[in-house]
Amino acid sequence: MRLFSRSCEFRQAAYLVSADRLNAGERIALEAHAASCVQCADALRNGRSVDAALRGAFSPLRERRTMIAPGRVRLAVGPRSAATNPWLRAPRFFGRLAEVSVMIGVTLFAVGATLDPSARQSTSTATHSVVQGNLRGQPPVGDIDYLRWIRLNKPDDSPAVSDQTRLPMGGRFDGDPVEIQKAPGAVPR
Amino acid sequence: MKPDTRRDPAAGDGRTDHELVYAARDGDTIAFDALFYRYRDGIFRLGLAITKDPSAAEEIVVDTFARAHRALARLEPDDSLRPWLYRVAVNLSYNRRPRKGVVLSSLDEAADVAFENDEGSPSHVAEQAELRRLVLGAVDELGPKHRLVVVLHYMNGLNLTEIAEVVDCPVGTVKSRLHYALRRLRTHLAAHPELGIEPSRPIIANQLRAPKPITAAVPFEGE
Repeated sequence: MRLFSRSCEFRQAAYLVSADRLNAGERIALEAHAASCVQCADALRNGRSVDAALRGAFSPLRERRTMIAPGRVRLAVGPRSAATNPWLRAPRFFGRLAEVSVMIGVTLFAVGATLDPSARQSTSTATHSVVQGNLRGQPPVGDIDYLRWIRLNKPDDSPAVSDQTRLPMGGRFDGDPVEIQKAPGAVPR
Repeated sequence: MKPDTRRDPAAGDGRTDHELVYAARDGDTIAFDALFYRYRDGIFRLGLAITKDPSAAEEIVVDTFARAHRALARLEPDDSLRPWLYRVAVNLSYNRRPRKGVVLSSLDEAADVAFENDEGSPSHVAEQAELRRLVLGAVDELGPKHRLVVVLHYMNGLNLTEIAEVVDCPVGTVKSRLHYALRRLRTHLAAHPELGIEPSRPIIANQLRAPKPITAAVPFEGE
């Protein structure tokens, strides 16, 4: 079963008769058709009423004006139009490049100056220890140098430091250690 | 009597849009100003109808003409300036459309300033204002595409071909959208008898096309 009827093909034209600029022949044809078609006559009549209501409602809005001056457009356009010339952008580009270079240089200098001095000395210490190792490995020929070499290779006679002092540990005061003795009949839980 | 020496800046010395565009392209600021004054109000009203915000509509005017100024060199001489400007304005207006949850005034409230200028008895003015409010409220309830077509035609006075250029679709689509919008408005406005619009007639049973009888033989399963 068909649920919707197919509307007349003139119906859209009947609604748009005032919006769509029909020529005289089309208008006569439409009105002749509307004389025999109930739907199109209804659409023609009420379409004109809706059209008139819309024109009346929009008429005060059509009188609405604004007071913007063209100077605002020039303000919005001006700087951008100057920037479109690439030759005018070149000095700004080089100035920016110089700024960035100086910034990077100052940053690197500041980072280098704040490095840990021990880290910088570590390289010289490492070099010194290599020289000492070579001296220790090869006995020199001269007497004085030989004595120095012996002194350098002399084993360390300082006594080994042993931690004899009892220090407070675990929140306890220094004192004799307490031994916990088990009772003879004690059974572990 | 002293003759009126004031000149309409939108007149542009009687030059057409094409002539003004060519002159503006060569750096003639007076020609560009003439174009600005010629289309300023129309673009403002269009922006106001879509965004419902007067300050946003003014910004749309400025942005539209700023784009036009940048695009002067690219404009083809055969192109019509008015649909091009309106298309830019429509795109800018939809970018500035109020987000969800933002309550702004509707079209009928935007027209309140104009209502104050009406002449006649206070009761007549109030009656006319109420009718306008009803109609513009019904326009507000249309979908964005249908509303735009109605606004461009009834407020900005564009014909269907120009609207098709603005919304970038065929003229047939514009006709279809306007037809749909007018039918919807008729349904809405028929509830107010003072507007003189009748409700849509129910389809009478004998106007329905009868379904075609099945004439072909239905084959049996065994065949």
